[in-house]
Amino acid sequence: MGEIYKVPVGPIHIALEEPVYFKVNVHGETVENVDILSGFVHRGMEALVLRRNYLQNMIVTERTCSLCSNNHPFTYIMAVEKIAGVRIPERAEYLRVIADEVKRAASHLFNVSMLAHLVGFHSLMTQTMETREVLQDVKESIWGNRMDLGANTIGGVKYDLDKDQIKYLLGKLISLKKPVRELAAIYRDNRIVRARTEGVGVLTKEDALRLGVVGPTARGSGVDNDIRKAYPYAAYSKLDWDVVLEDGCDVRARALVRLKEVFQAIDLVEQCLSKLPEGPVALQGYPRIPAGEGVARTEAPRGELFFYVKSDGSSKPERMKWRVPTYLNWEALKVMMPGNKIADISVIFNSIDPCISCTER
Amino acid sequence: MAGFFKIAIRNFLNGPTTDPYPFGETFTPEKYKGIIAYDPELCIGCSTCEYVCPSGAIKVTEKDDGTGVRFVFWLNTCSFCGNCGYYCPTDAVYNSNDFHTARHQSEKFIPTIDDDISYVRCKRCEQKIKAPVEALLIRAYDEITEEVRHQTSLCPDCRRQEQFERM
Ligand code: SF4
Ligand code: SF4
Repeated sequence: MGEIYKVPVGPIHIALEEPVYFKVNVHGETVENVDILSGFVHRGMEALVLRRNYLQNMIVTERTCSLCSNNHPFTYIMAVEKIAGVRIPERAEYLRVIADEVKRAASHLFNVSMLAHLVGFHSLMTQTMETREVLQDVKESIWGNRMDLGANTIGGVKYDLDKDQIKYLLGKLISLKKPVRELAAIYRDNRIVRARTEGVGVLTKEDALRLGVVGPTARGSGVDNDIRKAYPYAAYSKLDWDVVLEDGCDVRARALVRLKEVFQAIDLVEQCLSKLPEGPVALQGYPRIPAGEGVARTEAPRGELFFYVKSDGSSKPERMKWRVPTYLNWEALKVMMPGNKIADISVIFNSIDPCISCTER
Repeated sequence: MAGFFKIAIRNFLNGPTTDPYPFGETFTPEKYKGIIAYDPELCIGCSTCEYVCPSGAIKVTEKDDGTGVRFVFWLNTCSFCGNCGYYCPTDAVYNSNDFHTARHQSEKFIPTIDDDISYVRCKRCEQKIKAPVEALLIRAYDEITEEVRHQTSLCPDCRRQEQFERM
């Protein structure tokens, strides 16, 4: 029996250069247990939003994080709309799904490309990023920004799609299918990727349920908890789709869930475009926000995102609180990491698709 | 590796995928949210843009000498969110698709846009009012008659007074 060594990992440069600090006890090369320390990038956003009015907060919440950026204002706006008691036009419901699914596809491709980076397969990483670039171009052309779309507004959406844009969007998404299929096959079958991901960072279904993990982390362990299905919002209940589930319970299973969800996202956007009803995209004028409380949740690329908004009838919220998916998922790292090698730490960390800037706000 | 080899050869044959910018053209979408553009001709000085701007990049203030409204925009504070353009009632402010944000050091502490709109006088009482904006009139009225022109050249008080006298 050798000795146990303490290895600090972080707070800078683990995966994705996100600042979180792992205290790892290793026995030889094998992880015995981990302790996670956070709080390095706290920005005080929950206090900041109380000093901005409802319209400014649509943008402030969007800046919480870049990859889930559409879901933050989306969920916040849904909570505010509940307080105001407004129903958005039907066309806006579909347009909200389109923006969200394009963001989801881009976010998932980013995460699997980071996986390739961490297992040392850099050409696969650059190729995945290159493929994702198509989605970045789409976002830039339709919403005007590569990350922060500013798609939603209280009472609807800020953008509309005309015939040319629908054709452009469809064309781009269809052109994406073949390269993504090609890449997915490499992630699934390549010897090196398999060796680094299969059986690594195992989270059994029982543990997943016990820890209450969300998003692709849960679905990779066979837990069906997709908010889009369980508590449908926007137009999700009017579309035909199934929750993606994998039962590998390891890093590979989580990556496969994400890759399948890229296809699902493309399919959902196609369905939305074919069913897109005519009509206005937003309510006329700006609804009055009375005193009251509202909650809303959506399925962000990383899992369930929850918003609580309390209004006192003034132009600014009285209290706002959001709970982000990584907060639930990183507890599971303490279960996933023991028994794996030191070199797997970053691969496992990346497999929950961590977002520290969301979690610490 | 065979799977990736195919992609690598294809990439080699297809050549670079990046744009040769700044030596050649680059892809700039029409709707790209770049630097704010402002048209004082269209502005009614309503301050909506200032109210919705999350970054505090826009300030709309009464001019010191009381002759009009001053519109100031700081590029370095702007987050290119497009809120101002979306809510501006006359489209006086909007995101252009110019992405060249580099500025000389000498311009660092002066606003990127510093413009003003002057008040006009009410035809009846000479009180200072904001001049009517053609773009808004077109949106508000089916036809801009002489009557509309006359009404919009009065201050709200005189307008009310006139309506009252006619009754
Ligand atoms: S730019 Fe538009 S929103 Fe801003 S003060 Fe002028 S009219 Fe109002
Ligand atoms: S784009 Fe956004 S941050 Fe910039 S001036 Fe307009 S509202 Fe403010």
